[in-house]
Formats: sequence, structure tokens, C-alpha cells
Amino acid sequence: MISITINGKRIRARKNETVLEIARRSGIKIPTLCFHEDLTPFGGCRLCIVEVKGKKMPLTACTLIPEQGMVIKTDTPRLRKLRKFTLQLILSEHPNACLICEREADCANFQECIKKSAVTFGCKSCPQNDNCELQNLVRELNIKTIPFEFRYRNLEVERYDPFFDRDYNLCILCGRCIRTCEEIRHAHTLEFHHRGPETIVGTAFDLPHLESGCQFCGACVDVCPTGALRDRFGRYDKPPEKSVKTTCILCSTGCAINLNVSNNKITCSTPHSNQICVRGRFGIAPLVSHPKRITKPLIRKEGQIVEVEWQEALEFAAAKLQQHKGRTGILYSPQLTSEAIDKLYSVADFTKAKVAIRTSNDATPKPLKLNEIKGRSVFIIVNTDMIADFPVLFLKLRKKFERRALFIAIDAVSRDREFAHITLNPKPGTELDLIESLIDTKKASRKSGLHSAEIKHAKKMIEGRRVYVFYNADNFHFTKSGKSFTTFPLHSQINSLKIATFGYDGSPEILDDSNLECLYTIGVAPMLHNKYKTVIVQDCFLPDFDFDIFFPAATFAEINGNVIDIEGKSKRVRKAIEPMGKSMSDEEIIATLAQVMQVKLKRPVRRTPAKARSRVRRIARKANSLQLIIRENTHVFRNKLLSEIMKGFDLMRHDRHIWMNEKTAKKHKLTKGMHAVIISLHTTLEMPVKISPSVPDDAVLIFYDPSMRIDENLPVRLECTKS
Amino acid sequence: MRKKKPSQEYRQHLLVCAGTGCVANRSFEIKEELEKEISKKGLQNEIQVITTGCQGFCERGPIVIVQPDGIFYQRIKKKDIPHLVEEHLLKGRPVMDFMYIPSPEEQPVPKMMDIDFFKHQRLIILRNRGRLDPENIEEYIGFDGYRALEIALTQMTPEKIIREVKASGLRGRGGAGFPTGKKWELCRNEPAKIKYIICNGDEGDPGAFMDRSVLEADPHSVIEGMVIGAKAIGAHKGFVYVRSEYPLAVKRLRIALKQAEEFGLLNENILGTGFNFNIEVVQGAGAFVCGEETALIASIEGRVGRPRQRPPYPSENGLWGKPTNINNVETWANVPMIILRGAKWFSSIGTKTSKGTKIFSLVGKINNTGLVEVPMGITMREIIYDIGGGIPQGKEFKAVQTGGPSGGCIPKSLLDLPIDYESLTKAGSMMGSGGMIVMDEETCMVDVARYFLNFTQEESCGKCPPCRMGTKHMVYILDRITNGIGSEGDIELLGSIAKNVELSSLCGLGQTAPNPVLTTIRYFRDEYEAHIKEKRCPALVCKALISYLIDPQLCGGCTICAKNCPSNAITGEPKKAYTIDQAKCTKCGICITVCPPKFNAVKKVSPAIK
Repeated sequence: MISITINGKRIRARKNETVLEIARRSGIKIPTLCFHEDLTPFGGCRLCIVEVKGKKMPLTACTLIPEQGMVIKTDTPRLRKLRKFTLQLILSEHPNACLICEREADCANFQECIKKSAVTFGCKSCPQNDNCELQNLVRELNIKTIPFEFRYRNLEVERYDPFFDRDYNLCILCGRCIRTCEEIRHAHTLEFHHRGPETIVGTAFDLPHLESGCQFCGACVDVCPTGALRDRFGRYDKPPEKSVKTTCILCSTGCAINLNVSNNKITCSTPHSNQICVRGRFGIAPLVSHPKRITKPLIRKEGQIVEVEWQEALEFAAAKLQQHKGRTGILYSPQLTSEAIDKLYSVADFTKAKVAIRTSNDATPKPLKLNEIKGRSVFIIVNTDMIADFPVLFLKLRKKFERRALFIAIDAVSRDREFAHITLNPKPGTELDLIESLIDTKKASRKSGLHSAEIKHAKKMIEGRRVYVFYNADNFHFTKSGKSFTTFPLHSQINSLKIATFGYDGSPEILDDSNLECLYTIGVAPMLHNKYKTVIVQDCFLPDFDFDIFFPAATFAEINGNVIDIEGKSKRVRKAIEPMGKSMSDEEIIATLAQVMQVKLKRPVRRTPAKARSRVRRIARKANSLQLIIRENTHVFRNKLLSEIMKGFDLMRHDRHIWMNEKTAKKHKLTKGMHAVIISLHTTLEMPVKISPSVPDDAVLIFYDPSMRIDENLPVRLECTKS
Repeated sequence: MRKKKPSQEYRQHLLVCAGTGCVANRSFEIKEELEKEISKKGLQNEIQVITTGCQGFCERGPIVIVQPDGIFYQRIKKKDIPHLVEEHLLKGRPVMDFMYIPSPEEQPVPKMMDIDFFKHQRLIILRNRGRLDPENIEEYIGFDGYRALEIALTQMTPEKIIREVKASGLRGRGGAGFPTGKKWELCRNEPAKIKYIICNGDEGDPGAFMDRSVLEADPHSVIEGMVIGAKAIGAHKGFVYVRSEYPLAVKRLRIALKQAEEFGLLNENILGTGFNFNIEVVQGAGAFVCGEETALIASIEGRVGRPRQRPPYPSENGLWGKPTNINNVETWANVPMIILRGAKWFSSIGTKTSKGTKIFSLVGKINNTGLVEVPMGITMREIIYDIGGGIPQGKEFKAVQTGGPSGGCIPKSLLDLPIDYESLTKAGSMMGSGGMIVMDEETCMVDVARYFLNFTQEESCGKCPPCRMGTKHMVYILDRITNGIGSEGDIELLGSIAKNVELSSLCGLGQTAPNPVLTTIRYFRDEYEAHIKEKRCPALVCKALISYLIDPQLCGGCTICAKNCPSNAITGEPKKAYTIDQAKCTKCGICITVCPPKFNAVKKVSPAIK
């Protein structure tokens, strides 16, 4: 501990604390713009300069680590003059019409000023009005004039990428977005271009963000002090009336988010404390108020779908369930709250229905206990795109274990996984062999098709490290067990652990059961291949198949409940707005249905899980056949793919396509966009073609969602259809 | 290739200057021609031709010196060589026509050391220039090279080396003048096990070529200095950062490093003492800002060359976070002599606070353009008149810009200023890397300020608003002033922006960029005021403020100007006075150049004619 003097006050400081950190915790205000507590100091904006006794030049407080006895002044006339000068310089380049307008006080929303334009010329037409750090500073330092020529950059606002706009006319070059993208998200998408007065922020070769590796996580938007980077959906919404902390349920990570509410509408969702991903950041607000969302109960009357009241719909459903007692199947999504699921089983038991969850995850999910990871480790990540499917979990892994873990990615698809130190691309289906030969010192497998030098190198790197294998159980089936490694199967849907813990497991072959007469789906959109007498759908969006009864469910932003995340922690989902229209929470729908059916809701009881059907993983090769690689599409919201309902997300992903590489396409005379059919033993699947070099030779890749019916991992034939 | 005989068997040596300037003037061809001619005359076993580094007298290149006679030949052309070889080398009669003549009225000066340009210099850093082949380590060793290294490694402890360098009073020659010994000591005292040393050869100042010449002429002096420094500090790896615009320097450096390694003077077990140290060459990529030490370090690390706030200084946290000592090329080149001849000898040269010598590149409106090394404390007047030979064409001296874009202008009234770090700073300028740009009555000081500010503006890294935008706004104001639309208050505004930029910029580039403006306002305020108030450029330079005029009394109607005018702006009748149409005139200046001296009828006037 050392002691220094700031503004005449003696303060004790820890070693390696900067003057700015010391000042902030001692209640001494020093203006900043480029500083952010999570980022390494930049020292660029020159606002936090302080005077140090004995030094001729003022020094930036954000970078200065004091020595014993240093005497510092943070607020002298000279400093004030220099800070004002710097801000005035910044303003000479930043549209400042409203900041120095003498009629600012009278101006009431575009009424006074005759300049009304779509371009941000001043605070009043800027999305960050009253929420802008530059504006706050200018007001605090009482700057009324700018003695310099105004030379604005006259750039077009960048609107060609999804989710957020970039108006670099407002950029003050603080570098926070760049440092965030680099240091916190490790996506390395942004950097300063050129130098001197031409400096501007941009991507490599000025490519669109979609082509530059941007994950659209929105972290840069969150740290931007001005209106340069802003959410597109909530562009002009005022600062929210309230902010509700809740949990995002779009994947098993269960990030804490804030739902910002204005006028009983969700304007945007932002991180609560840690980082979040594109789905939680940009997906939720548009989803809740999606134009295609159904908020009134519907039933089929005389062949027509009509809107009815809840009472009628529930009674109708109750009657049908009674009628089809014993021959009903219930298919539900783990995205439901624990309370809803518990109540569902009461109803299911009463109607003697067969119940199944959306995914058939045959490895029983277990909580991801990161504190089990000890010592020098190697994380082998198999067939899982961590950045696309588990971005925030991966950030956590990286932050926690960066120093002592080696990341090895094993994936048949994708040549290079940026997140790993070593990437190995074995032939599809040989991943297990490869892992065995890496872990087991004696084994050396040739099946994977990799160079022995590559395998040798990887083995050398693994030596002396504890092995942890991470994999998405829907993408890879790990059949080995042993003491030399620990496995962490990753499940991508939230609340999967709830289901596993209570033995609520069940596989969806109920869809194959031709004895069932009634199907009740909650948050799932399966491919139906039986004719049912009654179909009941409980969801937010209409399904693609015919139904008889539709219960409008509320989104997770409109309900209260609990969910369990990938680490086994229980998280709270909190209501931010009232359910839209006549929609109700799943829990309430089920409870009311139970009431109508006069079912007594029981306490949840653990059950023995139904034996899960093991997926056949044989790799049989026939002449002229292709390997079918299936990866799980983890990006869903109830019965819809996120790319169907989240505008912009479809640009990041290409769901419901058949992926292949150039060679395969040529061989089958296919080009991008043409429709092709994958023909397997029992099934056919027709989808448009997408070309990517990541797919290995003699293979095709699909991202599987329940709307598809496909025999996993059996060889397939490919045929082209007339597009 | 001819087998080389040991040098003492030759009766004469011809030293052909091969610094970049003379190379551009075809000195390699001169060498080849000399060898051919010598061979033709059968003298190849008696006379050896070698190429050396820059002789310094760049104004007079290509240069050939005959040793041991010490005869200095200048402006040699290929066609001169047969005559030269025949007369001087065969018949022993030095050729007067090729010698240096100070002015048409005077006698030619045959010997190099009698020429004013060389007489007043004191060569310590450049001791070997022009007398050895930089691509031959044996010649360097022959001139006491690497003896200092031997002494340092075998007879001195690291602490003793540092004490010696401290006692010598050597200060950084890169610009700031920080005491070198103290810097080494700070780095030595850091507890880390891994340390680095760096040689800053980025030399970005326009018009400066001191470091280039040292690296081209005598790369071993720098290498020797670095090894001694490494021993003193405890580093085992060094980097020489050379700008990419110096390919010859890089080439000679690489050759020197290889030869040093072959002779056991670099890499492992140097001189058998068990000390390991090796040097890597890293090239810059065209950024002036990379001469700043933290930006240079970033560049070596493979990152963008953007400076960071100091403290912490590189001696504490430098390359890859390790304690690093950075010194300029010239500083390193001084070290071997200090160890060889002692701190007492070194500190006997120079002034009380600035010891030793300094290399200056003398350029601009000066008769003897070139590279000079002089003891600290010499006056500006001596350099410009005694060594530099004064202003060409008898024009009036106006100012000398020292320190490049970070420095300032010294006016006539301060010509007797003794040159050292403190006196230059007090005058508002700085020593800088040693550039000296001489200006005469035809140089507009406002334009000079604008030129330098434009340069620093383009080279600014863009990280901090004061430098990135403050200098930009100063350029806008200076552009207005030189374009005749300056207004009252502009000078004060310039001054206040300059002061603010100086105090709030992050690095040395921004902190010193306003110096040219500040010194020109300080010493030449009248020129600024003339530009603003009278729309007049006293030096007749700023195009917007001048007009070209034909004096009807002097014009002889020879039609030459009209024929050469690219805009057809000059009209008239032969044998009668011609006139220039001001509306068409683009002020290119061709008419003034082509007007025959007997008429000298074209004049520039300011303010411009409407």
C-alpha cells in the first residue's frame, strides 16, 4: 500500500491501481470518454489529464500508476482549459447543432428548429439524445462555443448489416468498440483505419460485418459513448421507463439480461452484468412484438379457423383430451419454465398421454461443473461451433482457463475454428477414433485421414495435461468411458437439466406411433407423418401444419418462472410486461386446462426416464453415396427457427439448406440456390443448396431441426430437382 | 573477381564515395570506370579502388579521394576518368580542374583537410567515413575497430561501463537529449531477467540523413556500441529498427552483422567471454510516428505503430513488456570511442552541459550542402559561413530550422548562439536529430510553418484529439493566411491552439508539432501580419499573394517568355515590351527562369495585382 495526495487529500492506494481508479473509488470526479473499467486503458481522449507535482506535462489518470508520495491535482484552471479545448476539437468534427444552440432550452421535439432531416445533425435527431456521454460532458463542462471550423465527415450511415446501424459521423474515435471486440469478445472485427485526421473505425478491407467475423453480439453498441453505434429496433425510443432483470431462455447458458420497457413495450434487451450474444441482445424485443405473433385463441369450426374466447377453446381442448384419453401424445420444448413442465405432467398423467421433449438427447445431460476442471488442461471440443452455439459459455471458459488450458477443436466440418489453438479436421465419423488415438498413448489411428505429423504434434501438446472433452450431444455420440478424461456433454436448450433430473425424458418416436389420435404440441414444430384426429398447438406463432386448437402462449418476457441452466443453477424469469393480447403463460394455460378438466395438480415427482433410443452411428459406405453430416440447429424459439422470426438472423445463418463443397456440387451438377433432394433409406429431404469449403469431400451437411425427418448418419444419395 | 592483395602493397588508394547521394549520382559507375582505366594502364597492382560511406560533402558529389596524398576530387564524371588516371595516377600530376574551388576568384584547394567544409569539422562518430569500405570488417578492425568491445568485455564490469558512459556526459542524439548513462542505469536496475536493446534508425525528419550516413558508412561502429551497451545493461537480444526507405543502409548493416558474427563478435560466446548477444534488423513501413519509442516498440511487436502514454517508460516496461533501452544510431556510434579513449577525453569536447560532437545535415539555401560533424558549442554562424560557405548567389541569411518538424526557426539575431541542447530549447527550437535547414530572404516563414505542420498532420497517428485535430485546425488557419484570407485574431488563435496542443498531446509528435508555428510567430511575426493585414508575402512565395510582372523598362521583347508560357498568358510584339495577363497567369515561374540575364525583366510583386 502506498499513500498519495489528490487535491490536498491523502489517500491510500494499492499497488498497480491507476490514479483514475483511485479517484473513482474515493469520490473524486475526473472526466473521461475513452475509459471503460473492463478495458485496458487507452489514454487517447486526453480528458482525464491531471497535474503531477514535479512533472512539466499533465498525465492521463487512466494510465498513471502513482508512486509513493505523489502529489496530484485533478481540477486546476489549466486542466479545465485543456479539457475544454479537447472537447471543442472533438465537437468540430461531431454534429453539434443542438449542443451549442441558444434555443436548446425551448426546443420541444422538433418544433422550434426548422431543420428536419433524416440525418443526425444534432442531439435532437440523434438516437442517443439524453443518453450520450459526450452530451453529458459538454453540459458538465459548460461549453457554449466552438472556436473552430466545423468539418463533418459526411459519411453515409452504414445500414447494410443487420441489427445495428453505424453512423461514423458521430464517432469520436475513443476506441472502446475496438478494444471490446478484441479484449472481451475476441472477435477482432474492428480496428482503426488510416491515421491522423483520416482515422476511422472499420472492418478488415471495409467488408460488411457479416463477412468480417462479426458475431453481432452488440458489445460494441453497449460501450459506444455516442450515437455512432446504435440498435436498429429501438433507435428512437427514449430512455426506458423501467428495466427488468430476467433470464434469457434462448439457449442453455441462461444469461442475465435487462428488458427495457417503455409504454408497455419491450424496446430492447441489454446485458445485465456479463456478456450476452446476438440472440439475447437483438432477438428478444422484435420477437415479443412480432407482427406474426398470435395472441388470441383459435379453434377449427366447420373447417374454418376462427378466433374464440379462452373458455371455449379450453373446453373444446378438454373434451378432446378426454375423448382421446390413452391415445394422446404430448410433445413439449424445454424452453418452458419448470413450473409449467411440472403442471404439464399432471395433465399428462391424467390423460394417460405419452410425453416427449423436443430433442432426443441420448446422453443424459449433467450439470456442467467448471470447478471440476483442475490443473493444466486440454479442452477437446468435438463437432461443436462454440462461437455460434455457445458464445457466452465459451467466453467464460476462456476467461477462466485461458492461462492453463489448451483448446483443441476436432470437427469434420469447418477447416479452422478460430477459437482453438489447434484444429483437426478428421473424416466425418472418425472423430472418436481420433480422440482415442490422442488420449491413448499407444493407439495411432489412420482412419481419420490426418497426417501423422499433425496427430503427433497434437499428442505432444496434450502430454501432461488433463483431458476434458466438450461436445454437443446432438452432434456427437461419445461412447467411450475412462479415467483418463472427463466428458462434458453440452446441451443447448435451457431447462434440459430440469427434465433430466426429474426423469421427464422421453423420445419423440411417439410421432411414429400410429395408434395416437391426438397430438398436443407445446413450443415444438415437429414433422407430422401421421394423420391425427385432433391437433392442439400451444405457442406464440402458427405452425406449418394443420391444427384444430391454438392456445396463444406468452413469451418469456411476459411471465414469471424458474429455469435451470447448463451449470445446474436455477435462474429466475421475470415478467417485464403484461402478456400481449389474450396470450397467457404456459403455466397458466396448463393450470386452467387442468381446472377445466378437473385435474388435481400434483407435486412434481421424480420418475424413471424412458429408455432413450440410441442413435445409430454406423458409417456404411456404398458406392456413389455421400456421407450425411447432421448438426443440431440450436437457434430456435419454441416452434420457430430464430432465422424465421428474427429479421437479420437469417443473414447470419442459412438454415434449411443443404451444404456441400464445390467439388461435390460440381459432381452432382449443382449450383448455389438450386434445390436438391437428399435421399436416404427411408426419407427424402428437399432443400436449396449452399456451397462452402468447410464441408469435406463426399459429404453433405444439414442443420437439423424437428421439422425435418431424416435418418441420422446413414449414407445418402443426392439428386437435383428443377429449381 | 580479382584477388585482393593486402592493402599495404598498394601505393595509392582511390576512395570513391558511395553514400546514397553519390550512388544516385552514379558513383558505382565511376568506380567501375576507374578500375577499368587503371587496368588499361597496367596499374592494377599498384592502385586500389574502394567504395566508402558518405564523405559528407554531398553538394560536390561524386567524390573521389586519393590517399595517401589526401587529394580531394569533386563532381567527377565518367568522361573525366581517363584524364584523371593518366595525369594523376600515372604521371603524378594532380588535376586542378577536378578540384574544389570555393569561389571563381579563388585558387583550387587540393587537399581535403584544407577545404573549409572539412577543416572545421571534428569527426568522432564519423571518424571512419570515407576512409574505409563499410562492407569489409577487416578495414574497420584495422582502424581500431572492436578494440573498445574487447576492453569492455574483458576488463570492465557492467557497472564500470555505465559509470564511464555517465561520466562522459553523452546525451541521446535522437532529439530529446536524455543522459545516456542514466538511461542505461535505469534499465540495468530493473530486476527482470530478459531485457532488450533497440537502435532507433527510423530517422523520419525530412531533410535528415545523419543516421543513414552512419549506417551506410560505418555500420560496425553502431554494432560495437550496441554490444557494449548490451553487456552493460544485461541484454542478450537487440534490434535495429531501420526505415524501409534506406535500402542501402539495411544492406550494409546486414553484411556487417554477418561479418561480425563470422569474426566471433556477435551471437554466442563473444570474444570467448561467454557473453551472448545477437541483433536482428527490423524494417519500418513508412510512418514518421514510428520514430517515437513506444510506437517503434509496437511496430517491432507486429502491432500498429501507435504510441502509448508514458510513464511507464520503456526502461521499465518496453518490448513485450520487458525492460528495454532504446538509443539513436548516433548515440550508439559514440559509445566505442568513449570506452576506447575514456570519458575524460569525451567530456573535454563540447560545452558544460552538452558533451561530445553532433552530426548535422546542412541543407537548404547553403553553398556547401552536406553532412557535418562538429563539437557542441560551435556557433550557428561558424557552421553556416565557415563550413557551409554561406548563402548561394549572395542572398541574405534569414533563418535556420533546426530539429526538423519538431524544432523551430533560429533567426539572424541568434546566429552567434552556441549550439547545445539547452540554448536551442531556450530559443524555442530544439536539437532534434540534427537537421539544419538554412533559409534565405526568399523563404516565406509562414509557408515554412505550414509545410512542417502539414507534415506532422499527415504523420499523426490519430489517437488523441489535440494532435489529430489541433494540428489540422492550425493547418486550416495557415492555409487561409497563405491564401490571402487570413483575419485579425488568427495569430492569437494559432498561438493558443499551439499551446494547448503542446500540453495535451499524448506523445512527442503532437507535443512538438506546434514548434515551427510558435517560433515563426515569435521571430517573424511581421511576416504573419503582412500576410493578414496587407495581403502581402514579403518573401514573394505565397502564390495567392504575388503577381508576376514584366518591367517595361527592362524588357527587350525577345519573346522567349511568351513562347515558354504554358498558359499563353504573355503577349506582345517582338522588340517591344511584353505584358502578362494576370487572369491567365498560373504563377508557375517559368518566365522568370527563362528571361535572359541581360534583361532580367520579369519580377514578382506582392500584394498581388487585382
